[in-house]
Amino acid sequence: MNEIKKINPVLRYFLVITSMFRTNIRDYGMYIALTVIFMTFAIMTNGLFLGPINFTNLLNQTAYVSVLAIGMTLVIVTRQIDLSVGFLGAFLGAYVVVAVENRGTAIPLALLSALVITIIVGIIKGFFVAKIKVPSFVITLAGMFIFKGFLMIRTNNRTIPTSNEFFNKIGVGYLSTAKIGNLDMITFIMGILIVIFLVLSSILKRRKNNKLGIENESLQIYITKTVFVIGILLYIAFNLASYRGISYLLLITLVVMVIYFFFTTKTTLGRRIYAVGGNPEAAELSGIKVTTIIIIVFISMGILALVSGVMYASYVQNTSPNHGPFWELYAIAATFIGGASASGGVGKIVNSLIGSVVIMSLKNGMALAGFNSNIEPIVLGSVLLLAVVFDIYTRNVRPVDLVGMYYARKKYREEYIEAKQGLKTAKKKLAAAKKAGEALIEYEYELTNAKSQYSRIKNMIRSSNEEDYQDMIKV
Amino acid sequence: MSEKEKILVMRSITKTFPGVRALDEVDIHVDKGEIHFIVGENGAGKSTLMKVLSGIYPIGSYSGDIVFNGEIKHFNSIKDSVRNGIVIINQELALFPDLTVYENVYVGHEIANSRGVIDWIQTKKMAKKYLDMVGLDVEIERLVRTLGVGKQQLIEIAKALSQDVKLLILDEPTAALNENDSKNLLDLLVELKKKGITSIMISHKLREVEAIADSLTILRDGKVITRMLAEEINEFEIIKHMVGRQIDDIFPKRPIFKSGKIVLETIHFNAYDNNLNRYIVNDANIKLREGEVVGLAGLMGAGRTEFAHSIFGNIDKYKISGGVIVQGEHIKFHHPQSAIKHGIAYVSEDRKKDGLILGENIGQNICLASLNKISKRGILNFFKQSFFAKKYVKDLDIKTPSIYQQLKNLSGGNQQKVQVAKWLFSEPKILILDEPTRGIDVGAKYEIYTIINDLVAKGMSILIISSELPEILGMCDRIYVIAEGLQTAEFNIEDATAEKIMHKAALV
Repeated sequence: MNEIKKINPVLRYFLVITSMFRTNIRDYGMYIALTVIFMTFAIMTNGLFLGPINFTNLLNQTAYVSVLAIGMTLVIVTRQIDLSVGFLGAFLGAYVVVAVENRGTAIPLALLSALVITIIVGIIKGFFVAKIKVPSFVITLAGMFIFKGFLMIRTNNRTIPTSNEFFNKIGVGYLSTAKIGNLDMITFIMGILIVIFLVLSSILKRRKNNKLGIENESLQIYITKTVFVIGILLYIAFNLASYRGISYLLLITLVVMVIYFFFTTKTTLGRRIYAVGGNPEAAELSGIKVTTIIIIVFISMGILALVSGVMYASYVQNTSPNHGPFWELYAIAATFIGGASASGGVGKIVNSLIGSVVIMSLKNGMALAGFNSNIEPIVLGSVLLLAVVFDIYTRNVRPVDLVGMYYARKKYREEYIEAKQGLKTAKKKLAAAKKAGEALIEYEYELTNAKSQYSRIKNMIRSSNEEDYQDMIKV
Repeated sequence: MSEKEKILVMRSITKTFPGVRALDEVDIHVDKGEIHFIVGENGAGKSTLMKVLSGIYPIGSYSGDIVFNGEIKHFNSIKDSVRNGIVIINQELALFPDLTVYENVYVGHEIANSRGVIDWIQTKKMAKKYLDMVGLDVEIERLVRTLGVGKQQLIEIAKALSQDVKLLILDEPTAALNENDSKNLLDLLVELKKKGITSIMISHKLREVEAIADSLTILRDGKVITRMLAEEINEFEIIKHMVGRQIDDIFPKRPIFKSGKIVLETIHFNAYDNNLNRYIVNDANIKLREGEVVGLAGLMGAGRTEFAHSIFGNIDKYKISGGVIVQGEHIKFHHPQSAIKHGIAYVSEDRKKDGLILGENIGQNICLASLNKISKRGILNFFKQSFFAKKYVKDLDIKTPSIYQQLKNLSGGNQQKVQVAKWLFSEPKILILDEPTRGIDVGAKYEIYTIINDLVAKGMSILIISSELPEILGMCDRIYVIAEGLQTAEFNIEDATAEKIMHKAALV
């Protein structure tokens, strides 16, 4: 058996990481996009875009969309759509604001009655979709018109400013700070605590997997990933801490995210939502009540629309008949950019959240960089299109092991060159025969054979694994 | 009667649908720890009976008693029957393609605390245990989407085991499996039998019945015809009871093929699959003569269907090279439309997915591939549509209350006839039939074969792709064997035997 020289460890590390990226390109595509967007705007605005002030603003602007997008993720996972949540959210925001500002209702009572309203609305929507089998597109389109009307009635077609302390706090307030120098320690320590929590829980998970004999990702990859995540989280914490710390908008978003993350990954109800989306007939046969699940999803969407509506009204410090348009579409776009599948069963909470950051950073960044605001929707649309095309193109990505390919290239070097040469010759012969006007079939056949040989070797190299070469490596 | 303990007795089960008596006073019983088969033609009531048993049709929608383990049971839903240890595995697998293997095992009966929080560690552990038990060796974190049908079926069985199954019902489990996976599955059932799990199986494949059945019940038209024990079981006896008449010859005779001019020829024909990055058809050289029936034999996944698709011009996913000669003319088809124009028709193997529009009626389906024949300047003539629909319903003896019946309301055999009619209407010279009798019952098969013979008598040439060797041997004049994209043998019918063909199909 011929021996192969062992690969240089630095090169090996680089190849391992690249292989992981290429194999899991679907999961990382969005992060790459976000990095590109951030870097582009940072350069165009001389760093202003990523500076503490704008960064804080960006997250605050994103809040109401991300909350909607989280709810929308579950709707889309169950193969439905909800077009009504923009105006529903705006109407519920108006409902609460008008109750508090104009009628002097106590805040908890106003929120509670809004909650009752939105739950009833969710049940009605879910009932029509799941029981009566009206396509959700139609039923929520109807809802969109209806809630637009309710919004206009509730606000009496006037803009009503908020003055209550509650709205101020939510919309423009921040958690109390304890600054040392320029840095808010509370934010910073919270960031560090989150990091510690994530690292500990991931280590715990690896150990349990080990115990059960379930394969973990390699230590190299794990450490690289963890270092990246820590870096990014600490950067975010640092950035926020250098301005005003954590806003209530951000806090609410994070709380909603954590609740929904837990809900969708750890609870029976949450997992059943994904089961229903992935295969409704199978779900029914597995004893899952599909109708109930869909109604619950619409109720959850409605509750998040309420949260979102109150957040938005508080953020802009008024309620107006002009609120609402495009909210649901931003949320849907964020969900798709986050990799959810329109055919159901696929879609992650955290990814949708990042999807909404992608959208809002485009809006924010273009404004900051002084783009003509007419360009903005065109860019947004194009990004959505790109995201979906990317999703389709990467659907069948095969796993790749570049280290294995490195060894294979060495091992099959001669065969590879020979096959390539053969292909060239066959092509030439065919071209010559064409010129001479001879019968082509035999030459075509020869070319096919050469191609087949070439692709066989290429395939062999492409599909090789590092483990296959363990015995051949020279020590 | 034997002393064996009966795990299940179903007493005078009657179930009616509007206008049909699907089950008529059906009595069956199954002994503990045996493998019991239920056989019968399509529409005999097998699946209906199992749906009654598993609670998919709840109590009250039928009459009669189910006695399970000595107690009369009333199942309101599938949940009820599962709680009692009766698990049904349907033909359409109830799995979730985008969830992991381990999660699939426990969907619907998750290991969770009282507040609904799932214990993933325990889930993985238990899932692994049951997957080992069914002999499935895959990483449990993989998505089910990435596994083949055979493995998916094993996951279903693991799921059943995790629900503490006592009686396992399998509805045509091997219909979609290749030989190897089928054998695995049958071995597993025998293995489970040793562990005390009773199985009821519905199957069209009588070989399987002969191989592993301890007993069987034959249904016809919703009635029990007979019950047999292992030692009495033989294929001909079963067929006789199933169809209610002796089929001396399952394959209708036709005159021996003499010779004719070549209508279709491929020369060094190749198809390269861009997604798989390999040749799925490699150097195919076949000839088809006028009035001849040629078979393409081979195992599933050998590339026969892909070959048909690439001749037919459905080549989105492929790169094609080599020559195709249709009636003396060198042609390369880039789209099925041009193949249809040149007189080729392809009846697809998956009639529900590629062949028919189930929500539309017979006429619309028949005319779909030849709309120009019933239209003038792009305007359709519905009288003509109805006229031709009536003609083919009569010619092919399609059993339907009216030509306006939606396809989804027809039985499998009749759907298949509509599919054939659709392509006959395009008046092809060459008809490619891909698994023409898959999932249809013996009687309907015979009718399809008769249609084939009629067409050949009129001078049509037919290429049959089939995984059922008896069908290939019974119907074809000449046979090509394909294995892993390569053409490995050619037989004249006089020389061909099942053993020879299998040898060439399995060994490259």
